[in-house]
Amino acid sequence: MPVEQENVVEVKDLRFTYGGGRYAVDGISFGIRKGEIFGFLGKNGAGKTTTIKMLTTLIRPTSGSATVLGTDLMHAGKSLRRRVGVVMQEESFDFTTVEKSLDIYGVLWGTPKKEREKRIEDLLSFFELEDSRKKRMWDLSGGQKRRVQVAREFMHDMELLFLDEPTVGLDTIARRKILDMVMEKAKDGLTVLFTTHNLEEADYLCQRIAIIDRGKILANDSVSALKRSYSGFKTVEASFDRDGNEIARLLESIPGVRVERPAEKGEPFKLIGPEPEKTVRAVVDIAVKSGIKLEWLNIHAVTLEEVFLKAVGAGG
Amino acid sequence: MDLLNSYRLAMRNILVNADPGTMVFLLMMPTLYLVFMGYMFGSLIGGIAVGGSSIDYMSFLSPGIISFQTLTAGAVAGGMLWSDRRYGMFEQILSGPYTRAEYLLGIVLTTMALAIFGAIIMLIISAVLTGGLALTVAGFALIIANLIIGSVFWGAFLLALAAISKSNQMYNSIQVIILFFASFASTVFYPVSTTAPLALRLVVDFNPLTYVANTVRAGYISSFTPALLDDEIILVVVTAAMFLLSILSYRRVRIGLK
Repeated sequence: MPVEQENVVEVKDLRFTYGGGRYAVDGISFGIRKGEIFGFLGKNGAGKTTTIKMLTTLIRPTSGSATVLGTDLMHAGKSLRRRVGVVMQEESFDFTTVEKSLDIYGVLWGTPKKEREKRIEDLLSFFELEDSRKKRMWDLSGGQKRRVQVAREFMHDMELLFLDEPTVGLDTIARRKILDMVMEKAKDGLTVLFTTHNLEEADYLCQRIAIIDRGKILANDSVSALKRSYSGFKTVEASFDRDGNEIARLLESIPGVRVERPAEKGEPFKLIGPEPEKTVRAVVDIAVKSGIKLEWLNIHAVTLEEVFLKAVGAGG
Repeated sequence: MDLLNSYRLAMRNILVNADPGTMVFLLMMPTLYLVFMGYMFGSLIGGIAVGGSSIDYMSFLSPGIISFQTLTAGAVAGGMLWSDRRYGMFEQILSGPYTRAEYLLGIVLTTMALAIFGAIIMLIISAVLTGGLALTVAGFALIIANLIIGSVFWGAFLLALAAISKSNQMYNSIQVIILFFASFASTVFYPVSTTAPLALRLVVDFNPLTYVANTVRAGYISSFTPALLDDEIILVVVTAAMFLLSILSYRRVRIGLK
């Protein structure tokens, strides 16, 4: 059934409590558009996994409403789950070989035999698991198991994919491969909800991001808009031909700027203020007037990490 | 409930469990019982009265071992639920196009398939050991029907145990005790005479495996007596009750929460 509405996922004031205690998810609202990769960014225990478990009908929300692929979540069941893929954060595997594990998963999803055989070869090749195809799952390293777990989900077709920290335990190359594969699938129309606490990944992959902390969404926008909205936290880094209190005192005299002294010798001073251009000018003036040689100067663009830390109140 | 889904789950369970370890557990132990006990006790015990006729010990033991397959297959099934919970597949499967009921039926179907497979192997071994079988069509049908009922009972029983077990060690320990207790406190290996201690006779009478063994044995020797009907009724009633109890226990298995 084609989805008429713009948002594939529409969540309104969704809450979940573990047995009446504090809310693990506390009134979150957001929407995900078709073909979008939506990032759910949060610390461990922020409520990311609980949200995915509600949206995949594994647990029932305490209150609020949501539609997923046009289906009311409160009345959704396996007909919805049939259209959705989920890579859980927790490890999951059958006690069999890599190849058989992929095949069995295809059987569970009703993928025809010929198609299963083709997909198994493609996935083993893409995820560089060909040499491990006959290995039993419990003989694999943690990273290999994770790769099988992600690969397995592509043994069936889906309209919406939930990826709950899929790259945990993977090396850089494997991680990048998975992210690129997700990007490719999204180009073909797959909608993805991607949770992570890896900010670089989210920055690389996601078009929009919701920052969640203690069950509440603190910010929700495109990556560029989030960075813009937190651009007041641009940092100017400066190194001089000498260190010392004298330079620090001079830099601290710049109005409206917070100065972080180098933690170690050779590291730059960090000047954090709302107007980085003015800060740069002031630093140059100080260097010229005091005869100190300015060795290095850089405006450090706001990173998603700074946005995240600011949003959750842990930085700046 | 989609029966095709339960079939797919049963296929998956069989494929996952088609490993040498499970096959040894399912076939090796009953085979050893059949060979060693059959020959050793067979040389000591004369004719045994069953259903108004006298049969040799090997002919008594063979259907007992066949009925024992329902218990070993049930143990494999219960282990499947525990393993799926422990290694994340229970939640993964239920996040796909499957319901809890379909998962439950999938395990019951697996138990039936394993029990019937094991029973056929035991029948073949019995035929080899005794130099042939004298099975009737009605007798064979009775054996299969009671293997199915017995599988449902033991599958449900061990599934309920897996559902309430807090750890794998706990499940395995209890399962081993049950396997030992249920098989020896039944008519699988020996008839229970009126001279046996009353307490032991009561335990045997309350053990559902006794009724699986009795009914399978009736089919094996084609002895259709009025007592068979009593055994059938008891077996069906306790199996239905156990199945309901199993569903209640199984509903307690939480998913989605760490």
